[in-house]
Amino acid sequence: MKDFPRRVRACAGLVGLLSVLSASAGRAEGDISGIWWGATYSPKILVAGGGDPPLNAAGKAQYATNQAGLKNGTIVDKPRKVCSPDGVPRVLETPYPFEIFQVPKGQITMVHELNHQLRVIPLDKPLRKYEELALFENYNGYSVGHWEGDTLVVQSNGFKDDTFLDSTGLPHSDEMVTTERIRKIGNQLEDVITIHDSKLYARDWQARFVYNQRNDIRIEDYSCNDPTHRDISRVKGVNEARAARAQGRLY
Amino acid sequence: MRIRRHKLIQVSRHLRGGFLAGILCSVAVVAVAADLPKANNAVPALMQEPGVAWRAYQFGGRTRPPSPAEVPYDRTANEWGAPESGIGPITADPAHPFYNNAVAADLGVSSTYRVADLGNEAAKNLMPWAVDALKKQNALTLANRNGETRQARCWETGVPDIHEAPWEMYFIQTPKEVVMILGGPGQQVRRVYLNVPHSKNPKLTWFGESVGHYEGGDTLVVDTIGLNDRTFVDGYRTPHTTQLHVVERFKITNGGKTLDVSFTADDPGTFYKPWGARRPRDKVVAPYEEEVCQLNNDDIFNQGFDPVPTADHPDF
Repeated sequence: MKDFPRRVRACAGLVGLLSVLSASAGRAEGDISGIWWGATYSPKILVAGGGDPPLNAAGKAQYATNQAGLKNGTIVDKPRKVCSPDGVPRVLETPYPFEIFQVPKGQITMVHELNHQLRVIPLDKPLRKYEELALFENYNGYSVGHWEGDTLVVQSNGFKDDTFLDSTGLPHSDEMVTTERIRKIGNQLEDVITIHDSKLYARDWQARFVYNQRNDIRIEDYSCNDPTHRDISRVKGVNEARAARAQGRLY
Repeated sequence: MRIRRHKLIQVSRHLRGGFLAGILCSVAVVAVAADLPKANNAVPALMQEPGVAWRAYQFGGRTRPPSPAEVPYDRTANEWGAPESGIGPITADPAHPFYNNAVAADLGVSSTYRVADLGNEAAKNLMPWAVDALKKQNALTLANRNGETRQARCWETGVPDIHEAPWEMYFIQTPKEVVMILGGPGQQVRRVYLNVPHSKNPKLTWFGESVGHYEGGDTLVVDTIGLNDRTFVDGYRTPHTTQLHVVERFKITNGGKTLDVSFTADDPGTFYKPWGARRPRDKVVAPYEEEVCQLNNDDIFNQGFDPVPTADHPDF
């Protein structure tokens, strides 16, 4: 028994090795759980690669209608007035933090501080057909996901068409499908979303959102009729957006 | 990842001489191979598989009148149950029984709003200002004004009023926190931080600051303070102060089929003594669905309902 400690160490090594093998063989997936908070905010969605969203003629007309209505008050920005869900991808660009859970097994849950919006994403399920969802559309759509290595791929459809893609009134149709590729890069989370909406856009296009890991904070309550919320003024772009809104420059 | 053959041989040599080490290792290897829960053995399974939740009342599925045995269940489904001991919750005035829409449909009667019984032990436990508040609310309700609960008007319910709504409650459990998601209209989210003390001066919020721990392998105990005074403690609109302190126990019973939720509420600014209530929830298959409370929820008959939460100006 004189070499007992050495044997225990060896055993521990084997157990550790098998543990890693068991984990990697059973489920090839990344770890994106935790609290995430974007360091910047833009009311106008930033197209990956630059330029403007590739609206087609119908899209341009709808965007103009939305902006005019938002400006003169005939269209209400309901997510900012009564805190209805933002829809995708607008929910990705809030200046508030959100938390991702990878339990229970088979489901990803994203809980946003802003109006405690929820995205419940079943894993390894087929994307439902537009025809099935047309009468039951959701603000945040219907999502399904799967892992491709350490990247979570989320596809969503079944969106109500009365939400906007950003805070300037950028439109989408109820036939929009989105594909997100979400992965952790160091202490940051990247979500690259592709917008597929041939009714209002000339081609598919992408936007990229980056969040910092903030497991040092707690997600707070948020209610639309709260006098105060978390101080988000240090999120770059928030003060500028508030000033633009106050001066009527947002639309 | 591949295990190199020479490494396995090396490890095997190390194992041959130590019987005790071998036994320990074998047990550990079996545990790893079977992916058995370890420390989680003592954690009650509040979190179920996706699409499974806990609902307080199984309404909606019945297509026949309730049997005599079901009638008492239907009636109690309206209300919190009495605690095992001590003062119970405010209940309905016997002269004005409360039937929510689902129970009314089951019983074949018209639905009603809540009118508080101000003559029972629970009402006598209220300080005068709270009794006055309930008297005013009773008068409004009987005049068919503002009888809806705050939950129905999409407000954050706070604690313990989150247990008034019968909707599905989903749990997410991690080693550090428990998240409760109340389904139904006006989805609400609250968090319980495990095995940590309360903050010295918690910010006053809708759901307060909740800390918790597990007991006995089947129970989550949650202690909540820091609640703002903009909520009510129940569906009768019993008010409270920011001194409200609630201790809840979420216990898995009935062979895992029932979640027995009980709580005690103490508030030296509102109640003379602590009081309590129970609200069992049954395990149900109910996949999560988005439901937005605040849209198309207008006061179409001008009944003086609370407005749905609305921002004075856009936040950002």
